[in-house]
Amino acid sequence: MNRKVLMRVENVSKTYKMGEVTVNALQNASFELYEGEFAVILGPSGSGKSTLLNILGGMDLPTEGKVFVNGKEITQYNDRQLTIYRRDQVGFVFQFYNLMGNLTARENVELATEICENALDIDEVMEQVGLGERKDHFPAQMSGGEQQRVAIARAVAKNPLVLLCDEPTGALDFKTGIMILSLLDKINKQYNKTILIITHNAAIGDMAHRVIKMRSGNIIEIKENTNPIPPERIEW
Amino acid sequence: MKKLDLRLWRMIKQSKGQFFSIAAVIILGLAIYVSFSMTAINLENTKNYYYEITNFGDILVQLVRIPKGAVEDLRKIDGVEMVQGRVSFQVPFRVQDPREKVTVKIVSIPQTPEQIFSLYMLEGAPLRNDLKSTVVLEQFSDARGIRIGDKISPYINGRAHPLEVVGIAASSEHVYLMENEQALLPAPEKFGVLYVSEDFAQSAYGYRDSYNEVLVRVKDLDQIDEIADKLEDRLDKYGVKRVIKRDDQLSNRMLSEEISQLQKTSSAIPLLFLIVASIVIVIMLSRIVKNDRTVIGVLKAMGYGNGEILLHYTKYALAIGAFGSLIGILAGIQLSGMLANMYIQYYNIPILRQDIYYIYMVYAILLTSVFCIVSGLLAAKSVLKIMPADSMRPEAPKTGKRVFLEKVKFIWGPLTFSWKMVIRNVARGKKRFAFLILGLALTYGINVVPVYMFEGMISMFELQYGDFQRMDYTIEFSRPMHKRAVGEIKQLIEVQHMEPKLEIPFELKQGWRKKVVTIIGLPRDTKLYAFKDKAGNAISLPENGILLTEGLAKALNVSIGDQILIKNYLPGKSDVNVEVKGIIRQYLGINAYMNIEAMDGQLAEKGMITGVSFLSRDQVREKLTNVKNISAIQSITDMKNSFMQFLDSVIVSTTVMMLFGGILGFAIVYNSTIISIAERQMEFSSLRVLGFDKRDIVKMITKENGLMTIIAIILGIPVGWAMCNGISEAFNTDLYTFPVIITPATYLYAAVGTILFVGIAQLATIRKIYHLNFIDALKNRVS
Repeated sequence: MNRKVLMRVENVSKTYKMGEVTVNALQNASFELYEGEFAVILGPSGSGKSTLLNILGGMDLPTEGKVFVNGKEITQYNDRQLTIYRRDQVGFVFQFYNLMGNLTARENVELATEICENALDIDEVMEQVGLGERKDHFPAQMSGGEQQRVAIARAVAKNPLVLLCDEPTGALDFKTGIMILSLLDKINKQYNKTILIITHNAAIGDMAHRVIKMRSGNIIEIKENTNPIPPERIEW
Repeated sequence: MKKLDLRLWRMIKQSKGQFFSIAAVIILGLAIYVSFSMTAINLENTKNYYYEITNFGDILVQLVRIPKGAVEDLRKIDGVEMVQGRVSFQVPFRVQDPREKVTVKIVSIPQTPEQIFSLYMLEGAPLRNDLKSTVVLEQFSDARGIRIGDKISPYINGRAHPLEVVGIAASSEHVYLMENEQALLPAPEKFGVLYVSEDFAQSAYGYRDSYNEVLVRVKDLDQIDEIADKLEDRLDKYGVKRVIKRDDQLSNRMLSEEISQLQKTSSAIPLLFLIVASIVIVIMLSRIVKNDRTVIGVLKAMGYGNGEILLHYTKYALAIGAFGSLIGILAGIQLSGMLANMYIQYYNIPILRQDIYYIYMVYAILLTSVFCIVSGLLAAKSVLKIMPADSMRPEAPKTGKRVFLEKVKFIWGPLTFSWKMVIRNVARGKKRFAFLILGLALTYGINVVPVYMFEGMISMFELQYGDFQRMDYTIEFSRPMHKRAVGEIKQLIEVQHMEPKLEIPFELKQGWRKKVVTIIGLPRDTKLYAFKDKAGNAISLPENGILLTEGLAKALNVSIGDQILIKNYLPGKSDVNVEVKGIIRQYLGINAYMNIEAMDGQLAEKGMITGVSFLSRDQVREKLTNVKNISAIQSITDMKNSFMQFLDSVIVSTTVMMLFGGILGFAIVYNSTIISIAERQMEFSSLRVLGFDKRDIVKMITKENGLMTIIAIILGIPVGWAMCNGISEAFNTDLYTFPVIITPATYLYAAVGTILFVGIAQLATIRKIYHLNFIDALKNRVS
């Protein structure tokens, strides 16, 4: 299989201070993310997966090591360049949705697309995530699943290179969680978007092309899934 | 609208109370700025225009007698534009109540087509050139209810002269009508001006073909000093008593000083308001930014840059500024019209030139923008430090530390648990605490000022009439008399003590500095005047030499031991050098004092007096009504009464100013409490779970606010003191010294006012505490 490398992580380490303790959140991590793939980083809390995601998304800088995106080293970027990188090439989906409480669903999506150059048609994306009817509702008037769908629409509408999802089902019940995973699966296939999910839920790994397992700041295993199962069949 | 702006707009809608309370401070500040500035400039223009159309006299020379022809000659002096002679004298005016002593100044108006100090006719017809008609000055006709067609009878040389009122007029010479510089306030029912034909004045007063006053208008005001000097020389032989230049003219000086005070106030007060508004904005916005930590992280994750996010929050401050400016400017324009009308009524100016000066609006907007942008950036600058990844993690708990006070066992030990918590809370947010205290201290200072001014007025009055001057009555003679008159008056009324006095205006000179003032001669052992120096030590009248009031000594730049020259206008008398023997404190008016025995010998005729002062419980007015040669009887009781009337208007302005201060205090406390409640939802919720009820939490916040208010008041005392000093400095003029006497009562009243407003703000926030949903607050960490 001739796969194009989208992101390359080289010997990335991250230590930070929390209060009076120094934490080695990430140690010497290296791996590649391919264009169009659906990858899952799996690990218990404190394994360093969020730190890794933040570094990939240009939200945080590693203490050591390099990250290349489409051949460009983003770990060399300054503040301004990182901002542009986040603006045009990355879409984030968070565990707690993090929508602006005083903006409607559609306005939340517009907030993201207003600043980027090749945004997709908002109404079409809203339709795709199944929120055509609830565009004008405020987050407080929506269920958790609906809010997460807004968050996904917000990330997708920017038309980024990659969607980085931090425990996207972590705050949802089982049924809603599956719906969100199906949506992500659909986006991966329909828009050919690279998707990277981090989670502690091993079951989600079953639907991914590849699973990167982490523990205590180290990558312990990278597993290819030759036969990923559809999200509807996942159970936990 | 950009979605980020939409978010801002909805954010503002959700925090209306805070938005409007800060905007109110800005509105007040700008309304004062715009209205005061515009009123000052409109008044200045009105004054100039009024002076122009009525030919305001630049120089007035009072002299003994000058023939008509000599006045004409003055036209030849270089730079003189117009010259006019007139006869002017003060006489008693008989009214129904015999106890009331009313004085009028009779002023002649020539029959020339153009006159200096020409009258501005308000009603009726201009003066006829006959012996029976008069035009009355508006203030006097209003106060006494004199109408066109009335017959009035001034007493001239002991004889009633009936005159018919043909017109009522305003005069630029008397926009502020006071009998003399010693008068505290205008009393238009006690002193008025009647304009009569030249023929009438000259024949009634015995000044055929001559005058006792010369008015001059100069071509160029820069030359006024030279021309005044020339006039003085030329007119010396006619017995010059006094040369009054435009700037020293009492009415003009009062009006001009009022305008310049208005100008000073117009920038000082608004600045204070803007500073307070900025402080509150900083406190409020910092809190919003802190609360929005996750939101800011998400925005950064989406690709919003630091600049855009910084601007987002700064726009909140700008929105407050824009709204405040708009309303403040509109209110200022409205207010300026009202103020200007109030002023021209108070100053009896019949016309008003009013324009809108857009430049003040531009200044107002610029100034507000600068303040708002700076405070917005100051509050939002922490946005820069937020790393998007960090902001997603819950904030590390504040490091709990023991506060300094805990080490002081004897204070900390006995404190109850809730007080300990209050003190720790206060100590935890040091920056916010400092801002709050500063704001409240300013509020307190602003409250001290009006109370001080109110009390200052009273103490100024009491110091002048009671402490310094101790007589019950003073009598002015209509012409100088021999001191035998003292004995004659003593036969008419019963007095405890009576002293003669000799009051003559002279020009005092030291180097190039000079000042025309009234020198008052008194017996050396005077019991009716208590001279004190700056430090409050008693000074007695020296046998030789002169005592000067502080303001006068400053104006002449002399100190004790210096020699000054007294220029003597009286015919046949020469100039005299005297030594300054002391500098005294006097709150109203500027004067010099001498031993009467030395004064009459050196400066006037031996044994000459111009009036008496005395202590008496007799019916003075009734008994002296028909006595010849008395031009005025002034009683301290009368002055007290007119002062009390004046105080009524002071009470109004004091209240308004305290209300302004109160709005500031309200804005500060309301905002900070709302913030503190929002900030500590978690803490309060935990307390609720532990079994505290809502009232306990209200009590805790009340204790915190109370503690801060008390500290702010203590720190506000020097702030208030400094403000009062500034005010007194700004208000001090030649004519009066505003004493800086701040009593503990002043501080106390101001404290009561401050606490009251803090209390009101506190009440306004209680509702918020009761509506706090404690369970939700515990469940949701994320906004």
